[in-house]
Amino acid sequence: MTHEALRELLPAYALDALTAEEAREVRAHLETCDRCPGELALLQETATRLAGAPVQVPPPPQLREQILAAVRPQPSVVTIPRGWAIGLAAAAAAVIVVAALTAARFGQQVAQLQQRIAAQEQVLAILAGPTAQTSVLAGSIEAGVKFVYDRTRGQGALVVTDLQDPGRQSVYQLWLVAGAVPESAGVFRPAPGRPLVIPVRADFTRYQAVAISIERAPFGAAQPTTTPILVGRI
Amino acid sequence: MRPAQLAASEELEDRQLLARIARRDSRAFEVLYDRYGRPVYSLAMGMLRDAGGAQEVTQEVFLSIWRQAAEFDPSRGSARSWLLALAHHKAVDAVRRGRMRAAEPLQETKTSDLDVVDEALRRVEQGRVREALVRLPAEQREAIVLAYYGGYTHQEIAGRLGIPLGTAKTRIRDGMIRLRGTLAGVKEVAP
Ligand SMILES: [Zn+2]
Repeated sequence: MTHEALRELLPAYALDALTAEEAREVRAHLETCDRCPGELALLQETATRLAGAPVQVPPPPQLREQILAAVRPQPSVVTIPRGWAIGLAAAAAAVIVVAALTAARFGQQVAQLQQRIAAQEQVLAILAGPTAQTSVLAGSIEAGVKFVYDRTRGQGALVVTDLQDPGRQSVYQLWLVAGAVPESAGVFRPAPGRPLVIPVRADFTRYQAVAISIERAPFGAAQPTTTPILVGRI
Repeated sequence: MRPAQLAASEELEDRQLLARIARRDSRAFEVLYDRYGRPVYSLAMGMLRDAGGAQEVTQEVFLSIWRQAAEFDPSRGSARSWLLALAHHKAVDAVRRGRMRAAEPLQETKTSDLDVVDEALRRVEQGRVREALVRLPAEQREAIVLAYYGGYTHQEIAGRLGIPLGTAKTRIRDGMIRLRGTLAGVKEVAP
């Protein structure tokens, strides 16, 4: 569709009154058009007024508790001694908890972990850094996959806690995406019932995303041959 | 502080909160919930008319904010807009899911549409918005209320009202432009 045709759809887009397919077209156009985003912002301000207009009713207090509990840090996860013994699982748990801990307490946790799990040195080094970031990969399948990375030190790791077996003919391939160009960062298979940590060294300032596609075993492909099943922004 | 300054400083705070949430700051998340839990829940209540459904939507909205705060782009509009657009989006999804479950026939009599519009308007409390809606030509008001509060697509609206799709689009567009004009000069202070 042309700019003119898509511009006509902006008012309905701002009201969420387009079909999913139309909305996708509008979103794609917004990425490339230099006029439509400004116009949409104005329409959205009007939609925002509509959003704030209904009779105001307080949500039930238990809803607040429920929602806040879902994001509250759970320090108990990192203090289960048994967790450290299984190494990889503990490191993965630490990844989940890392963001929630204060720097000081986290330093102690890292010190403990470093003594105990030699194999996780790189992940732990990343996690210990004040500039470490985590990106949760999401996409067409249910999975537990995170990418932990530290831009300033150029270190990162893919942490796979839950990912189905790709089948004997296939492997998962990890890509670092710069603009529209994916670069391979290696192939892997999930270990059944066990978390997997794959260290990655790169200049992460060059990339906008990490992605995982299913490729042919055992070596994968030079460029993705299938649509990525999981993507995370970095 | 004048209302405009107050709104501007709240916007700054909202942005800072979203930035902190993107860094997994659960305290910032709590503050954001206390600021927006009520308008989000009220919008969902207004659209779904069901407390259980509105709670589910509110939960979905805030967990999405927790996960996607980094996607907020201040160059594309205010934090408040982003947040309430996300809330509306989730509420529309819930309304459409409910409609699919109930297998509501697409073609219904016009009276039921008028009921939907009247009912929605009754729940519009905010004086200026209500006034602006009431001042719209009836057919534009109907199209906008069915779209925004009813969760109908422009195609469904055309079908329900028995008008061509092009006409439905025009009513939505003209109505939005007119609303924007009426509301642009008068900004209410954020909740
Ligand atoms: Zn355009």
